[in-house]
Amino acid sequence: MAKCSTKDATSLWEVIELTQFCTPEQTQASQWRRSWRAVTRWIAGREPAERKAKQESELRQLPELKLAHLVPEVDWSPVAMAFSQVLYQQGLEEHPVVFFITPPHGGHGSVVRHWAQQQGVSCLTMPTYQEISDGNLEWIACCEAQPVWALPTLERCFLRHTQGLQGVRELLERVLSGRMGRGVIGCDSWTYAYLQQVVGLDSAPVFTLQAMEGEQLAHYFASIVRTRQDAPVVYSTRTGNQVLVRSRHSKLAYKELQQLAAHCRGHLGIAWHYWRERLREPAESDGSKHFQGRSQELSQEPPQELWLLDALAEAELPAETGDVATLLLHTLLIHGGLEEQALGDVLPFSRHEVLNARLSLARQGLLCCHQGCWQVSPLSYASVRQLLASRNYLVDAL
Amino acid sequence: MDDKEQYARLFNDIDSEALITLGVILVISVLLIIASQRGLNWLANRLHGPMRFRVFALVPLTRLLVLITTLAIAVPIVIEPSLRNMITLLGAIGLAIGFALKDYVSSLIAGVVSAVELPYRPGDWIEIEGTYGEVKHVGMRTVEIQTPDDDLVAVPHLKLWDSAIHNANNGGSSLQCVASFYLHPEHEAEKVRKILRDVALTSAYLKFDRPVIVVAEEKPWGTHYRIRAYPVDPRQQFLFVTDLTVRGKQVLSDSGVKPALLLPDTAFYARNAVTE
Repeated sequence: MAKCSTKDATSLWEVIELTQFCTPEQTQASQWRRSWRAVTRWIAGREPAERKAKQESELRQLPELKLAHLVPEVDWSPVAMAFSQVLYQQGLEEHPVVFFITPPHGGHGSVVRHWAQQQGVSCLTMPTYQEISDGNLEWIACCEAQPVWALPTLERCFLRHTQGLQGVRELLERVLSGRMGRGVIGCDSWTYAYLQQVVGLDSAPVFTLQAMEGEQLAHYFASIVRTRQDAPVVYSTRTGNQVLVRSRHSKLAYKELQQLAAHCRGHLGIAWHYWRERLREPAESDGSKHFQGRSQELSQEPPQELWLLDALAEAELPAETGDVATLLLHTLLIHGGLEEQALGDVLPFSRHEVLNARLSLARQGLLCCHQGCWQVSPLSYASVRQLLASRNYLVDAL
Repeated sequence: MDDKEQYARLFNDIDSEALITLGVILVISVLLIIASQRGLNWLANRLHGPMRFRVFALVPLTRLLVLITTLAIAVPIVIEPSLRNMITLLGAIGLAIGFALKDYVSSLIAGVVSAVELPYRPGDWIEIEGTYGEVKHVGMRTVEIQTPDDDLVAVPHLKLWDSAIHNANNGGSSLQCVASFYLHPEHEAEKVRKILRDVALTSAYLKFDRPVIVVAEEKPWGTHYRIRAYPVDPRQQFLFVTDLTVRGKQVLSDSGVKPALLLPDTAFYARNAVTE
């Protein structure tokens, strides 16, 4: 695929202070659209059928191998480099602690790990579940030995109960007072919002990744294909137009991805999941053969045709989502995901009730399990955030 | 003969066309009231947060508007709306009300006042003369309150004139809850205060944009602690207080803090008895 933007890969990653974060254009419109869809589904029982350029029945899912080539995992190392540059420019390299936060699936852990690797800094040992839930502080004493350190996932250092706060409170007190040398803490934006209320983190500088607009998403998705020969031409099933731009002047071509950017509040980690889940190929083509051949042979074939399903079709929250489900979703976001066992400890319900609610939400596609932790699935994150905000729950700043 | 002419001038000629018009106006207004009341209540019950209370506040206001419009259209059909006629009519109505239907009409008028002044709206948690509960419906004559024991209590709007009305959330979503702890006098007060604050801050129901305050008050029998905090939704108030109480008791017990052994009143009277 021809390079179609003046932006290079590193300029996609703009690390900014938290106060400078702004959502992409049309974010408010996207929220209204989501509410409108919920209302029409509520009244009519189903969504009105839209005229589509391509029917879903004519398409099929891509094989995993092909997806791995077309949509590889996000490489967060350029963000770590941009983060280092910002720290250098702002003279914060000697500051006791700097936070880097992103929303769920936003990659703050990977960014801080990459940063630590680039700087030759070791990461602090995380406490065990037992240490956290007992309020044991010994693991913090072990952390004090290092003058420079990194803590990639602060959300794994606390639990929302009285004992579970002791460790993180002690840690942050030592860190903010400078008794632990200097370091960088990666944190989920929801955990940060919670700890800001409970512990108080206002004195430490906080950075995040600026929201991406549709044009930047288009550039990113076009650039991540492993080999140039594999570069597909992606069409929207809704409009039949190309989604990835080929001309720097075709602003209209960003419309589809601008909607996606607005829906995801500009968070690449979530947009990446949408892109990966919604890509389809025509049912009649034999896509797997394409990847079995050598790259030289591939270069002679025309660019493959792919289709992007309606990007905003997602796991929807039922209109009557009850208190147990809402509190469970909020708790999972505050903790950046939780194990089954921990859920019962932080929710005011019996384990049986928690299990029922968890199973029901998982069946609806609202939760997913990643490395033993239950978390809000990326495709339902936008709806869940909107629901929690509308019900006055504490939400993150991103 | 003059009297007959006067009455003839007071009321218009009610022919069949006027009767049909009045009937149609009546039916339409009744249907509009029913539709707006049910529709707005249905909608509000499916909403959460501030929007819920805004929609609930529209329920009595909409009904009042429909009634005023209906009267404004219907009265000129029946009566020639001159000053003299209106004075005669209002005088007659005033006499009837004064003698026979004083309380009933007073409640109706208070209902109109309540729709304008909004001392309570559906969704509010109020207390009138010892009855506490959620306002379920603001009718023409009464306000219906559902108590925590699931009793539906109809209180006439008449109470508005001479009773104190305690509104816990006043049309908003912030309702302060209080969880009390009665502790033995021998304990480390500062530690207890921190523990109780943490209990509130770790509650799943806590609303974070409102303050969490722990109040301690020394009593003859020990110390009375109160956590003052707000749940996310006023409807969660009892669950919230229960959560604070259950977890607070557990954590205090784990920390070796003993509860006051005597009931506050018993302790008070016991101490008084000894001193006397």
